Amino acid sequence: MGNWKTICLAVLCAAISTAYAADLQAPAQVTAGTAFTIPTSGSGDRTFYLVGPSSVVKKSVKLGSEIEIAADQVHAAGRYVAVSCGSEGCSSASFYVVSGSPAKVSFLLHPSRVPVTAHDAINATAFVFDKFHNPVLRPVEVDFRVVPKAGPAFTKSVKAVQGVAWMKMSPTPKEGPVKIIATIGSNEEPRIIRQVASDACNLHIKARRTAKGVEVETDPVKDCRSNSVPDGTVVSFTAVDSNGKSTVDAPVKKGVARTELPITGKAIISVASGVVTGNEIRL
Amino acid sequence: MKWTLDFWGNARRHAILTVSILIAMVISLAQLFHALPADSLPQVKLNADGIAPRPIEELTGHNVTRAYAYAWRDLAAASESNRADLLNDYFTGFAKDNLAERIADQRRTGVSIRYIDHGHNVKAFFYSPDGGEMQLLDNAQLEIAILDGGKVVHQETVAQTYLVLMTPGADRWYVRSLDPVNK
Repeated sequence: MGNWKTICLAVLCAAISTAYAADLQAPAQVTAGTAFTIPTSGSGDRTFYLVGPSSVVKKSVKLGSEIEIAADQVHAAGRYVAVSCGSEGCSSASFYVVSGSPAKVSFLLHPSRVPVTAHDAINATAFVFDKFHNPVLRPVEVDFRVVPKAGPAFTKSVKAVQGVAWMKMSPTPKEGPVKIIATIGSNEEPRIIRQVASDACNLHIKARRTAKGVEVETDPVKDCRSNSVPDGTVVSFTAVDSNGKSTVDAPVKKGVARTELPITGKAIISVASGVVTGNEIRL
Repeated sequence: MKWTLDFWGNARRHAILTVSILIAMVISLAQLFHALPADSLPQVKLNADGIAPRPIEELTGHNVTRAYAYAWRDLAAASESNRADLLNDYFTGFAKDNLAERIADQRRTGVSIRYIDHGHNVKAFFYSPDGGEMQLLDNAQLEIAILDGGKVVHQETVAQTYLVLMTPGADRWYVRSLDPVNK
């Protein structure tokens, strides 16, 4: 009979221990960087662990009191496991820390230089984060404000999906720097893209005889939207005379390209830049 | 006649011995390969059917899958051995910083984390037009054990979703962000 009493008491103690062991009441969800407490019940000392995506906390706690979790111990969003261990075993609970309000935007703009005629060539991608750099996964509106060198500024709003908002756009018609600013709340991330002229258009040359031959010069070289092509753009002059065909490449300097061809008699001179050809001159 | 019998008896013994040694070698090699962690890359299945705005090239898909598998292998090894240097090959940015921070805490507290990886179903959903970033959702099947001084204090099997950002480097893709999310 005495043995039965002992066994019953042992079973009762084990049951109580198990009940206490399972008494870690973590919240279902916490916002990143927010201090909170985990209530406990029972009595005695235990070792408490909190394991998260970027931290591990280990400390001694007393059952019956609340376990205080500091704000900096839960600044990373993700799944956390709280474990409490004593002589009778361990109990655990898990909870999620979610990102806070959108506070930062990380902005990538490609390419850094783009011809004005390149259709849909500008790509803007923005990642939305809270102040602890956790991705904000709920839908948030990101504004892309486009400020060209000439012409009015305009804004495109894009809703972020899973923390990312992106858009593509064609360049504005005029060459020069274009500022694109990704904005979320008061946080702004500006980037600058350099728009350059496209291929030369309506190439035109003029020629005059000199003591050494013929000096050939282009009119100011521009693309079809009247943007000056960048200095260094190569223009090819081709002369066909009684000696045959000869070609000279000359870079654009201060908007025009010029060269001197050693021609004395009759000749036909033509001009080209890339795939674009210009007028012909017969001397 | 006796010589003949001895000869056939010896030959049979030699044949049995040779076959036994070969069988033993095959079994040992199989066990050795099974035990080597380098050969036990986590299984990663990539589904890029709904990826936008840029389609994924086949080779890129293979490279991303391989890099992600290696990243998880390294994460498991680093978390169990408390060595942040094991994260150098496939992690960068916030993913690396966060994991390195946790491993520093693990070293300080004597805690280690053991992952037994049962595979990853990864869905790639965003690939930027310039090819500079890829976002993925990973449904991972993991057994996680938290150990303090070698003693298991918590063990669980979880199906965990991760939001992953990967970016290309000079010769491989890197995990730049690895965020467990509540789905």
